[in-house]
Amino acid sequence: MLDVRGLKVTFAGATTPALRGIDLRLDKAKMVVVGANGSGKTTLIRAVLGLVPPTAGSIAVDGKDVRTIRGEPGLSTNLAEIYRLMSLPVRDLVRLFALLKGGDPAEMEGHLRAFELDPVLGKRLYELSTGQQKLVGDLFAVCFGPRLVLLDEPFDNVDFARRRRLVGLLRALPADILLNTHELELLGSFADWQLGLMFEGQLLGPFSVAELDRLYLTRGDAPEALAVLRTSVGLFSVTRDAGDRPVKSATSLTALVESLA
Amino acid sequence: MNLTRWYAKAMLSNGSLWFWAVAFMAMWLGIGAFLESQGVGTTRSAIVAYTTSWYAVIVLIALSLLAAVISGSYAYGSSALAYAFRYSRLTPTGYLASLVGGSALVGLVLNVVLLGATAGMFGLRFSTTLLPADPIALVGVSLLGGVFFMALSSTLALLAINHLGLRSADFVGYVPLVLAFVLGNGQVYVAFPRWFVYGSPFNDLTSLLYQGFSGSSATVELGAAAVSLGWVPLLLGILVWTAGLVGCTLVLLRRIRSRNLEERRQI
Repeated sequence: MLDVRGLKVTFAGATTPALRGIDLRLDKAKMVVVGANGSGKTTLIRAVLGLVPPTAGSIAVDGKDVRTIRGEPGLSTNLAEIYRLMSLPVRDLVRLFALLKGGDPAEMEGHLRAFELDPVLGKRLYELSTGQQKLVGDLFAVCFGPRLVLLDEPFDNVDFARRRRLVGLLRALPADILLNTHELELLGSFADWQLGLMFEGQLLGPFSVAELDRLYLTRGDAPEALAVLRTSVGLFSVTRDAGDRPVKSATSLTALVESLA
Repeated sequence: MNLTRWYAKAMLSNGSLWFWAVAFMAMWLGIGAFLESQGVGTTRSAIVAYTTSWYAVIVLIALSLLAAVISGSYAYGSSALAYAFRYSRLTPTGYLASLVGGSALVGLVLNVVLLGATAGMFGLRFSTTLLPADPIALVGVSLLGGVFFMALSSTLALLAINHLGLRSADFVGYVPLVLAFVLGNGQVYVAFPRWFVYGSPFNDLTSLLYQGFSGSSATVELGAAAVSLGWVPLLLGILVWTAGLVGCTLVLLRRIRSRNLEERRQI
């Protein structure tokens, strides 16, 4: 269970915050967070992982403050930097992380075979293609019994057939999932998941992916607003069934806001 | 949780370590044996003293290259460690214990290989058999040397990562190498005072390696006379330094900060 309250992150030397008061609760749920590059999606994941110190607010995983968590193997991620613990071939990394997580390496080896990635077992991470690195990270994230999975752009550089297989794997995974993506066209695969919209460090939602077709963005602070977005070019409201522009019509939230500004 | 074998495997499969700490150092041993040895006397004691001086300094520098490798691994692994201490069974103490075991083992391997190269090349040059007088002592010093350099590089790298940034971490990776080069060679060419040799972990190691290979105590000049260095204070010196640095590493490891690799770009 993930509980984020009023999370703010400002990087040293930055004039604007990367996250501006995120509130998020994930309890027996799966959520897709959609946002443009630079909107703060990855920073949110890195903050939950304890890799970025919050400027304000709190992050709790299973009721424990992230800053004090030690030795709790239930949270996993696909971020490649997490698997650079040692420079070893993938086969050894699988065994190492199975040991660290208390899992069975055969589980991950089975997934690698199913994704036709057996050839990577003898290679080191830096010897893999970008797509292979991403998939190996994705598979590390779903293996060894995680309770909470944080996925950052898990489909980037992944071919169509493996995307479909990965979608099936994620949908069947018995864990809470927070999945970041900037690709709106992928959302149809996650119709029964929650939806969060990330823009300039603000997270709007949760909505339902299934209701995406009914969500609109309207300039100004609309009285019937489901959520209000404060941007550098003014206020925008997320409304249901009526509004200036359908959210789904844009390739990204940024493009949508810019079209209304 | 003990990751010693993983760590030893990762270090021993590092091609750069084998090139710089073994092949490059063996080349210097070759220079010492075949090019720089023209003025060495023909007595057994002179040959042994000359050979041992080269061996001790070269092993010290090779171990400092191990330190550079370990320092670099922190730069790459800061996020992985910060994550693993929170969200896996790995503890800072367990990780450090693995590093101690792994670096001791790698220190021993480096020493054994360079010992063989020394005995082979210098034996060939002087047409005599040159074997270590006390191999057991050399094994102990190798293990200790590996741990010392691991702890030194870990302390420096973690100080840089936690407080300065990855650009500084790149530079501090060379500090053990520079100190080993200057102080190891310095002991051969400069009359360091006895207190300095006892207090310097680099010179403690060089002196103990000298003693283990030659069977004679390393000496320092005191006025016109040469005074032997006792192995007990030398051993105590390196033990105290190593223990202190291992303690510092543990404290810093508990507070490790994740750093983005992009920070490492120098230009």
